[in-house]
Amino acid sequence: MKRRLFVKGILGSAVLFGFGSGHTQAALLENPLATNRLRPPGAVPEEIFPAKCIRCGRCVEVCPYRSVIMLDIRAGVHAGTPIIEAENIPCYLCMKCVDVCPTGSLLRVSQEDTRMGLAVIDKYSCAAWEGTTLCRTCYDKCPFPEKAIRLDQLKPIVETDFCTGCGLCTHACPVTLENGRKAINIEPIYAGDKVLS
Amino acid sequence: MSTTPCAQSASKSTGKRVRYGTIRLMVLFGAFLVVLINPFVNYFLHNNFVQGWYQSIGIGALWFVSPLEGLESLLITRNIYMPSLVGMVVPVTLAFLLGRVFCSWICPVTFILELFDRFRKIISRRKFLKNKLLVAKKVLWFTLIGELLLSMIIGAPLFVFLSPPGLVGREIMMAVFFRTFALEGILLILIIVLELLTRRFFCRSFCPLGGLLACIGQKRKLRVVTLAENCIACGICAKTCPMGLNPQQYEGASAYCWNCGECIDNCRTEALCFQWQ
Repeated sequence: MKRRLFVKGILGSAVLFGFGSGHTQAALLENPLATNRLRPPGAVPEEIFPAKCIRCGRCVEVCPYRSVIMLDIRAGVHAGTPIIEAENIPCYLCMKCVDVCPTGSLLRVSQEDTRMGLAVIDKYSCAAWEGTTLCRTCYDKCPFPEKAIRLDQLKPIVETDFCTGCGLCTHACPVTLENGRKAINIEPIYAGDKVLS
Repeated sequence: MSTTPCAQSASKSTGKRVRYGTIRLMVLFGAFLVVLINPFVNYFLHNNFVQGWYQSIGIGALWFVSPLEGLESLLITRNIYMPSLVGMVVPVTLAFLLGRVFCSWICPVTFILELFDRFRKIISRRKFLKNKLLVAKKVLWFTLIGELLLSMIIGAPLFVFLSPPGLVGREIMMAVFFRTFALEGILLILIIVLELLTRRFFCRSFCPLGGLLACIGQKRKLRVVTLAENCIACGICAKTCPMGLNPQQYEGASAYCWNCGECIDNCRTEALCFQWQ
């Protein structure tokens, strides 16, 4: 009798966990990457990242800037994987996390070859593009000035070939929109790459 | 039969042997201290000499990777990464020679449960704790296989973020780094609550890592052996075994034994001992 009760309890909680609500169900497999939500440098494509990462948290522990944070169970199967919230604390490209990853989820890469995402300027809210102020904060903060971000008639322009997606510009951008976005945001476009095998 | 190892150890020690339980608790405490102090050192002192916890721990250039996590990562991605394989060598060798000793001597969950056990014994004033719900020991293998299959089906390693030994480390890290707890820590509370039903309920048959280590350690060198001529069939060893085995029936040599030495400590007639075979 007791055993039956126990099995019922287990099944019940499994059902609750899995099918509690439509939202939970979708969130279980949903990828946490979005605008300004990036994987640390050198991350393998998202296709295999959640499978390769063993959630050991070493990248989180070594990050001297506390840029790398850890997702919890609300991220479903992605729980425990590292993520960088670019507008809060960007990546300063110190590459410490890459050095400690034991599974090869983060592969060694040089600073300039890092592709965590691509900075995209929202020309309708950027102060320089709108012409409200002579703002060049992103240009000043960019670790690869004149390469990744250059000024064209005092307006910032992102060079796709050099932008590492570190998010320093996003973090520094003085314009914050109502939805929490900045006037320059990092889109993790390289995360969708296919794995060559 | 004075040449048998058990008799030897008995004559050498003359009854004043340090209990394995005491040494084990100290080792467990030390292992727990590593995952407890490490986040503080990393966060406040910015010293990265040691990072991680028992999913993967790096001590300087020496890396360890938990075998189950490494195996899952390998199986799902079908991609070999040497540092991960090399990191698995030490844990696998340890399991191959000594069996599930990680579980009984290092695992932080065992440390918590061991304290819980002692606490319960003081409160209940009972010498032996009763097991109320027994699950077949074979379930351990089904857990292991089921877990691997399920991980491969969903394409994400399941145990790695619900692994109880790792969860302890993660919760401490989360508390230090982000001043919060990860929700999956509920699992730890569940394990402790289940402990009220049966000792090491989770470890016995539902821990996939334990399953893998037991599987690796099937032909292990270090075993608990029973000397039939010394045994008076008092049954104390079976009562003290946290895994619910009966060493009197030679179950100390089975794959399920995790070499904690609890039965040896409690045997009054020196009928049990560790033996290197």
